[in-house]
Amino acid sequence: MAEKTLLVAENIDKKFDITHAVDNVSLTIDAGEIRGLIGENGSGKSTFSQMLCGIYTIGGGKFILDGKELHARNQVEANNQGVAIIVQEMGTLSGLTVAENIFLGHEEPFMNGIVKNSAAMNKEAQRLLNEYGFGRINAAAMIDQYNFEDRKLVEIVKATYMKPKILVVDETTTALSQNGRLELYKIMDQVRADGRSVIFISHDLGEVLEHTDTVTILRDGEYIDTVKTKDVTEDDLKRLMVGREIGNAYYRTDYGNPVSDEVVMSIRNVTVPKQIYDISFDLHKGEILGFGGLSECGMHEVGKAIFGASWDREGSVTLADGTAINDIPTAIKHSIAYASKDRDNESIILNESIRNNIVLPSIYDLAVHKLLSSRKLTNFSKKHAADMQTKMSSVHQFVSDLSGGNKQKVVLARWMGKGSDILVLDSPTRGIDVKVKQAIYALMQDLKKQGKSIIMISEEIPELLGMSDRIFIMKDGKINGEFFRSEKLDENDLIAKMV
Amino acid sequence: MENIKSKNNEQSKLRAFFSGDQFKALLPFIGLLVIVIVMNILTEGKLLTPKRMRLLLSQVYYPAIVATGVFFIMTLGSIDFTEGSTLGVASIVISMLSFKSIPLAILGGVATGAAIGAVNGFFHVKFKLPSFIVTICTMYLFRGVCAYLTTETAVPASKAIKALDQDGLKIGITLAVLLLGFFYFQFTHIGNDIKAIGSGETAARFSGVRTDLVKFLVFVQAGALTGLAAFVNVIKVGSITSTAGNQLETQILISLVLGGLPITGGAKVRFSNIVVGTLMYTVLNNGLVMMGYDSATQQLIKGVIFLIFVALTIDRKALKVIK
Repeated sequence: MAEKTLLVAENIDKKFDITHAVDNVSLTIDAGEIRGLIGENGSGKSTFSQMLCGIYTIGGGKFILDGKELHARNQVEANNQGVAIIVQEMGTLSGLTVAENIFLGHEEPFMNGIVKNSAAMNKEAQRLLNEYGFGRINAAAMIDQYNFEDRKLVEIVKATYMKPKILVVDETTTALSQNGRLELYKIMDQVRADGRSVIFISHDLGEVLEHTDTVTILRDGEYIDTVKTKDVTEDDLKRLMVGREIGNAYYRTDYGNPVSDEVVMSIRNVTVPKQIYDISFDLHKGEILGFGGLSECGMHEVGKAIFGASWDREGSVTLADGTAINDIPTAIKHSIAYASKDRDNESIILNESIRNNIVLPSIYDLAVHKLLSSRKLTNFSKKHAADMQTKMSSVHQFVSDLSGGNKQKVVLARWMGKGSDILVLDSPTRGIDVKVKQAIYALMQDLKKQGKSIIMISEEIPELLGMSDRIFIMKDGKINGEFFRSEKLDENDLIAKMV
Repeated sequence: MENIKSKNNEQSKLRAFFSGDQFKALLPFIGLLVIVIVMNILTEGKLLTPKRMRLLLSQVYYPAIVATGVFFIMTLGSIDFTEGSTLGVASIVISMLSFKSIPLAILGGVATGAAIGAVNGFFHVKFKLPSFIVTICTMYLFRGVCAYLTTETAVPASKAIKALDQDGLKIGITLAVLLLGFFYFQFTHIGNDIKAIGSGETAARFSGVRTDLVKFLVFVQAGALTGLAAFVNVIKVGSITSTAGNQLETQILISLVLGGLPITGGAKVRFSNIVVGTLMYTVLNNGLVMMGYDSATQQLIKGVIFLIFVALTIDRKALKVIK
């Protein structure tokens, strides 16, 4: 069967100051194709697709959709020309109803002159929601009533109801639970069945292999290759993304080494109202303790509670020497580090330099007679940023310019600089590419060897199995299962305790 | 072909420079220079005479002291509208106490200012109200107190305090405040903490900064400095009427923004913003007076210049609601 070409990208190019984000990329996508688009952080895949969807202006080259060149100055114009996107972050607007969000920018059919016919709009939105099988979402309700996942579902409806010729799914699945993902895959399959196409961006290569027909790989803004999904393995894709062989040393390979009996921190009866209940455990020296569960199970709150960041916490967190940890400054002073899941808000100051981010927790240690020396701060941050191999122009560069992986390196660099003995890492590899992931796992093993203890909270089961000495699975705010490191342990054992 | 390319390249470099941070950081200095030159030409050289310069300087002292306090508040990403009313109330306290003892008067003024700052800080931090709302409310409150205390007649100050009206003392106090402020902004962790809060409060808290305490103290400090400025004000004017410090808050706000202070606070603030801004405002103000504009026209011109400056210097990436 001769395939019809739907989208042609010719010499697409984009520069941000000195960064060449997308470097002369050309590709074609056939009608009725699900195309995976993969690459490391900063490889240009999001920039490329956002130019297609009118979010960024096109730096150079052109997109031709179904024989016509695209001229979209914003997302609404792109929609009208047949391109829609579901974005990585929150794509719905608070303060509007579900229906208003779905028809944002496309209200004309419901307008009588300048008066909006809300009833008709709600009715049509509800019909669409029911059709998609999301009937439990009420079209007339405010969007704010729904959680992140339901809002993503609304966004999916918004992006697809007008039957775009090209649907871009940009890293959406990280925000969705298993059920939400299944809904999304169904919709992608439907688009393909209609002879339209999907561009599917994801870091989860397993998912890419399972749900795409072809995969295009970008590296450092350049087009590398397009392969047929059925001809490749996950390792092939990793190699193409990184440009070299990824070794086997991805997770830990050691099994059966006992963990020290020495307790470094005791958590007793910790409760945070409405979030976690009566959590008690001991953390040992040199232990990597994993916390897993469904997104809302309370495990993220455990990390905050240990770090002294929950104001209404009950129960006690005590170090081996008897120090009680009740607030953040005390936690930091007594060698506890915390990397939040919400990296951009809680772990790092975006509108501040790499230098000042790295020195902040160590500022008291760096002062001599309470005075700071600028040169000393710069040298300190240079050393630790370099140790983490952070990609940057200098330590004075602002963190907001960095990719997700490099931001996380800055977060880790500051705690390495502080020399913390207990590290609480919440979703340490969230949204991070293979190469940086590997570096973070290697760092964790290194820290373990130095006798430091790590609490790793993670939504990724392979990561928990691969890295932890011990795993707690949480459900509804309580610890629901405890597992010890073993080759025999598998995903299903953990999942059984999650749901 | 090559030629065109390199020319394009140069052009884009030039454009990058003009839209870049380096240029934005230089803009206030260029602005000050331009305003001085333009005003000097428009007033036919009368601006840059020793007599005028002295008069000009005499108008810089107390705004510079107040601006130092507000500078720290704006670095937090907050705002304070109470300087004018604080100055008024503190001036009255100083005048009354000046009949007893001068040191007591100074202490009383600083304490009054600090107390008003503490009220602002308390409501802002404890009740998590935006500083902009809190200080608008307290501005009306203390403006009212000020009017109440001066309804019968203006409050006179003692002769002893008026005798202190010498440039040396006023320059000394102003310089001391500026130097101390610069020192701890630049060389202690407190300055760093304040900037961190302005750039990202949540992340600062998670990095071990005691955000609530720091914010509270910064408001207390701003009040105390306004109290000290009230002392400089009293020795200059000698008797306090209900309009004392009227619109001082907007003058300070305009000065700091003219000086290049980003209204979002955070990492890009420079201590030089205080000095450059206060000088710029004073030169502009004096120039307009000397050129014989009435106060309505003066306000109009100042408003236009202010708007242009904000539009040129604001960092749109960091833009968020003022806390």
